[in-house]
Formats: sequence, structure tokens, C-alpha cells
Amino acid sequence: MKRFLRDNGLGLAFGLLFLASLVGQAFSGNADLNNRLLADGGDPIGFWQYVTSSEFAVDVAENWQSEYLQFFLFIFATVWLMQKGSTESKTAERLGAESDRDQLLGAHLKEQSPPWAKAGGWRTKLYSNSLGLVMLGLFLGSWLTQSIAGRSQHNNDQLNSFQDPVSWWDYVLSADFWNRSLQNWQSEFLAIGSMVVFSVYLRQRGSSQSKPVGAPHDSTDESG
Amino acid sequence: MALPAVLVLGGCGTSSDDLVRRTAEEFTSAVAAGDSDRACDLLTEKAREDVECSSLDVPGGAVRSVEAWGDAAQVRTSDDVLFLRDVTSGWRVSGAGCRPQGERPYKCEVGGP
Repeated sequence: MKRFLRDNGLGLAFGLLFLASLVGQAFSGNADLNNRLLADGGDPIGFWQYVTSSEFAVDVAENWQSEYLQFFLFIFATVWLMQKGSTESKTAERLGAESDRDQLLGAHLKEQSPPWAKAGGWRTKLYSNSLGLVMLGLFLGSWLTQSIAGRSQHNNDQLNSFQDPVSWWDYVLSADFWNRSLQNWQSEFLAIGSMVVFSVYLRQRGSSQSKPVGAPHDSTDESG
Repeated sequence: MALPAVLVLGGCGTSSDDLVRRTAEEFTSAVAAGDSDRACDLLTEKAREDVECSSLDVPGGAVRSVEAWGDAAQVRTSDDVLFLRDVTSGWRVSGAGCRPQGERPYKCEVGGP
């Protein structure tokens, strides 16, 4: 048990932080909405009614889609782009999809290599891109959810202000949809760009995301 | 500006539409029958504040379409556009005799956003 906790500490810690934050968001979002409803002369609503509302769904989905977009783009961009001296980057010699030798494929497979890496053909091709593709799928799914829940929320706002509701197509072309999307995207791109550049010059002793404290600034593809 | 109210996903569900339609039909029937008191009973409190119930005069007409999203709905009749809100007492008419103003909110003879 102790060993399991140690071996899975990162996944478990962030899984718990995620759940705690989501529950916190649900309670604070419900309280915030109820404050606004009371100020408007309406009745407060219950917790479960709030967590099944499109208001909650769109707030969650718009953040999820931007996180998965960030990872999808970063995973694919780091195949072809580099940042000299960054722990997040490969060296210039390794840019591109790399050789079978580097990727432990074909004649370089190991006994413990994953079955789809050994399978060859389309399965190995698909498995070779599975991390990025799953991130892409999660991004598109979350973005679609944002568009559906966002339209529901937007149409409620429209009707409450005596304006016509809009179709899904009109919504995905609307300022509301793009404002929600872009305000999340810009923060993700800023965070990842900062991490890439800061890791050239700054250190965090013992972190896998940092170079060793004494490593030179121009050494790339190295973590401590 | 109206507050973002709660919406159950798929907020234009059938049961909601039926309840909205029922209130709208009751309202337009009362208007057609000249029963101003009954029509006035079906208004939201806010809409009733701005209207003289004894001289309620809105087009009415037969209900053509219903679109409900969360606690708000729009009903198009043969002669009018109505807006409704889901309040404690059920669906009530928050705007009647409404005319579009381009991209601006509808202007209504009774009620308003």
C-alpha cells in the first residue's frame, strides 16, 4: 500500500486536488449564483440543481478544453520545435519524429514494449501518436460540451433580456463563445511559454521539471 | 441586464415547453375573451406593476412556437411575441405585445426585461 502510494503519488495528489477544487467550485459557484439571484429578486437554487445546470457545465468545460488544447499543441509542437536550454525541449539533433532506434521500434523493440508498439502497421502508427490524439479528442469533446452548455446559458440570458435565442451554429460564431474560449487559451499559452523559457534560466532543486541547479543555461533536454 | 439563471442541460425539454404553452394559451384565451383579470393573473409581478389590468390590450393570437431555455421562454403566436419566466407560482408572462428592435431587446406593450 505504502509502495503504491509512493509510486503513484503524482497522479493521486493531482487527482485529489482536482476533485477538491471541482467540489469547491461547485459550492462557491452555487453561492455566487444564489447571491445574484437574490439580488435580482429571485429564489436561490439547491446544490444539485446547480451542478446539473448549464451554468456549471459551461464554466467547467471551458477550462477543460483549454487545458487539453494546451497539452495537445505542446505534445505535437515539441516534436518539431525546440527551445535551446529548456527542460521542455529536445536538442536540435533530435527534432522530428526520430528514428526507430531512438523510439525503440522495429528491430529495437524490448521484451516489455507495449503490445501495440510491437504489432506493427496501423496499430503501431496509431499508438505512436496516441498521447497527442487522446489530448486532441478530449479537447474537442470539452469544446463541444462548452458550445452546447454555453448556448443553453446564452439563450437563457437572451430570453431574460427579451432577445431572440440563437441556433448552435450562430452560437459557435458568437462573441460569447469566442470570448470564453480565447480568454482561457491566452492564459494557457502564456503559462506554457513561460515554463519553456523560465526553465532555461531558473532551477528547482530536485524537480523533474528543472535542470540540475548547476547545469549550464544552454544545456538542453536535461532534467534534475 | 438579466441574470444568468439556472438551466438544466437540454433546457428546452418537452415538459417545460408544455407548461409554457399551457400558460401562453391560457393568457391568449383570456385576452381573446376580454377577461383582463385572468390575463393579468398570468403576468409576472414585475409585468403587472406597469400595467392597468382593467385596460389590458395586447394582440394575443394562436400559439405557433415555443422555445424555453432554463427559467425563460419565448412564445410566438399568430399575432404576437410573448416572453415568459418560470417564477415560484409557475410560468408567467413577463412580456406581451412585443415587437423586435433589430439587435436590441424587444419592446413590449406589457412588461419588459
